[in-house]
Amino acid sequence: MNRTWLQRSACACGLLFSLMLPVWAEPVKEDPLDREVLEIAKDLRCTVCQNQPVAESNADLAKDMRQIIREQLVAGKSRAEIMDYFVARYGDYVLMKPPTARAGLLLWIIPPLLLISLALLSWVFLKQRSRSSPPPAAALSKQDQARVRAARQQQD
Amino acid sequence: MVLSGFEFHLVELGHFAAYLALAVALMQALAPVAARYFRRPELARIGINASIAVFVLTTIGGLAMIHAFVSDNFSVQYVASNSNSKLPLFYKVSALWGGHEGSLYLWAWVLTLYTVLVALHGRKHYPDRLPTILAVQGVLVVGFFGLILFLSNPFLRLFPMPADGRDLNPLLQDPGMVFHPPMLYLGYVGFSVPFAFAMAALITRWKSEYWIAHIRRWTLIAWGFLTTGIILGGWWAYYELGWGGYWAWDPVENASFMPWLVGTALVHSITVQERRRMLHAWNIFLVITAFSLSLLGTFLVRSGVLSSVHAFAVDPGRGAYILAFMTIVLTVSFGIFLARGRYQEAEEGMSSMLSRESMFVWNNVVFTTAAACVLLGTLYPLALETVSGDKITVGAPYFNAVMVPIFLAALLLMAVAPLVPWRKANPERLRSRLLIPVLLGLAAGVAMLVAAWPLHWTGPVAAALISFVTGTIITDYARAVRQRRVQLPGESLLRALMRTVLGNRRHYGGMIVHLGIIAIAIGLTGSGLFRLEKSVVMSPGEVVEVGSERLRFDGVRSFQRDNYFTLQGQFTLLDRNILVLPERRRYPVQEMPTTESGIHSTLWRDVYVVIAEPVGEGNQTKWGVHVYVNPLIQWIWGGGLIALFGLGVTLTSRRRTARDALAVPVTAS
Repeated sequence: MNRTWLQRSACACGLLFSLMLPVWAEPVKEDPLDREVLEIAKDLRCTVCQNQPVAESNADLAKDMRQIIREQLVAGKSRAEIMDYFVARYGDYVLMKPPTARAGLLLWIIPPLLLISLALLSWVFLKQRSRSSPPPAAALSKQDQARVRAARQQQD
Repeated sequence: MVLSGFEFHLVELGHFAAYLALAVALMQALAPVAARYFRRPELARIGINASIAVFVLTTIGGLAMIHAFVSDNFSVQYVASNSNSKLPLFYKVSALWGGHEGSLYLWAWVLTLYTVLVALHGRKHYPDRLPTILAVQGVLVVGFFGLILFLSNPFLRLFPMPADGRDLNPLLQDPGMVFHPPMLYLGYVGFSVPFAFAMAALITRWKSEYWIAHIRRWTLIAWGFLTTGIILGGWWAYYELGWGGYWAWDPVENASFMPWLVGTALVHSITVQERRRMLHAWNIFLVITAFSLSLLGTFLVRSGVLSSVHAFAVDPGRGAYILAFMTIVLTVSFGIFLARGRYQEAEEGMSSMLSRESMFVWNNVVFTTAAACVLLGTLYPLALETVSGDKITVGAPYFNAVMVPIFLAALLLMAVAPLVPWRKANPERLRSRLLIPVLLGLAAGVAMLVAAWPLHWTGPVAAALISFVTGTIITDYARAVRQRRVQLPGESLLRALMRTVLGNRRHYGGMIVHLGIIAIAIGLTGSGLFRLEKSVVMSPGEVVEVGSERLRFDGVRSFQRDNYFTLQGQFTLLDRNILVLPERRRYPVQEMPTTESGIHSTLWRDVYVVIAEPVGEGNQTKWGVHVYVNPLIQWIWGGGLIALFGLGVTLTSRRRTARDALAVPVTAS
């Protein structure tokens, strides 16, 4: 009842302190090796999964593949070497990004070619259209004229 | 639950109704043929009543199925494999589209709904062509009911009746998944209406002036539903799949994205035909393509030809049927198009290379290229495996590399095109109007480059284009308001702001849609380029820091809900003192673990927490924890809402479209 202002603020401070205590604890650090494993695993496909990279899959195979990546990283292999290791075993199928050579070549050539050819076609189309004078409008049939008249009356 | 004999067999009434619907739809498809053959034009009118009957019968079938789900009638095979007595009621109803057979039924149901809407609308507005339109729709209904009743029948019974059902796929027990399929199908199937119009127009040589305004409306409606469906799908993936993202370029996602891209091209180029009497054949081509891609999407998802999380069915008979159906529809429709496509010769010429109509042509170049690239990436692995036996993966990195530049090109057009007037632009005036937005864009790009260096090249380019687009929309709007205020000096500012939009709903509705797309682009850029993530192992009491967010792990508790057990991790977002509760659920019936991410959202960023497996045992148990900080992700969902609002504004401009439809023939006479 007769708590002084000082006591109250001390209480509040204590409460605040207890709440904030964990904040000052050293935050958990991410294992840099884990991060490296995940960064490589992102670009590899979990071959038994449905369109999922190794990094995101919980399948046993994905876990094994992450373990292999880890072991190879510890053994001092580079990212490229590890990728090659998996391609040698599973083929290009294991790469989330299709290769620019071999079977994946067309995938990378077609989109720019398509864009260029469509753009050229449209350019030609527009040029041709802008040169030709507008063709005379087709005369309306009797039936159509009647329809237009009816529609106009409806509008008024 | 004890069912009476009547209720137990009620599903047979639905089964019968579905067969009857097939028969009536066949009649609807043949009505105009019969009218011609017997020379009795009144026979064609059968189609209108038939379409109503087909819808009523399909609805009876659908309601009978829903009744079977709600009353736990596990003597129905489809109910037994997709429901469970402990499933919450909400999911029992939506379990109708939780599996293969029911999804197809929903497809057909939506198709009959659209057909009856066309019939009711057309009775007043286009009675003479209506039977042909309904006949085309009838053929599609017959095709789908054939597949449903003969190859994937949801009404089949199961004896002996199991004591309980095998439960709905736990991944689908999510509100996002309840609404995602109906929206998506309303979009997919919505493209059947313009398709039927285009077919009827080609067959009966119907002048486009009469139907273009109608299909514009139907196309916009379909586009709106498809947009909603796609965004809901992304939302579901983000909340339910637990990998911190929303779009994986999965073949099934691509299947819904292709019709969207072509549909987007179509809603733009239809305007050119309506306003300037151009691109008539091209529009019909786009209409057929959009619907073909909807069919292709259904084929890809339903035939099991692609294995992904969505493809629940693997049955070669169904695949062959859908493939055959799709091939027939494609061959016939493109055949008719090639034979008759140019029936309407009179097209106006282009007045200038720099005009609104040419801008729309460039829009179409961009969007058709985009659709073709998605198609290529989706089908290439299948084609390659069939031809050479090689297997490759075309994953998200490929699509990001190819599609992002295309989207940036679309943004550039979005910035310039709305300022370019119809027929012929004055380059001087255009330059002065573009000056401020361009400077704004350059400033934003440079600011991003300086603030976030080093970053991927797409970052500053996207920032520049986003500001450029926003700048043009706002300056364009401001100019219109200023002009109005000069003409009507007494009007209050607020009223002028409102009236400007309401006076030209088509234009400003479109601009609001563009602003929604811009919000989505902001969300995509933010979450795509600036995502932070950490994967750590934590014990209770420890804190993890991701970016400026600090998260304390308080522990784990487990409890049981209706039809699953859950392990809930408790995290406190320090500085805000907010709880974030990710879960790992286990559904005992399907023995399937699912993750529920714990998310704290603000306008600027989401903190997204996933709790993984425990490491160690007893008091020493630690937990794998994955924390993502996804900037600006809420802008994606918000942008979707803005775009839909804009679409609504556009669609309310009823009078204008009716007059526009008549304007051309009147001047021609």
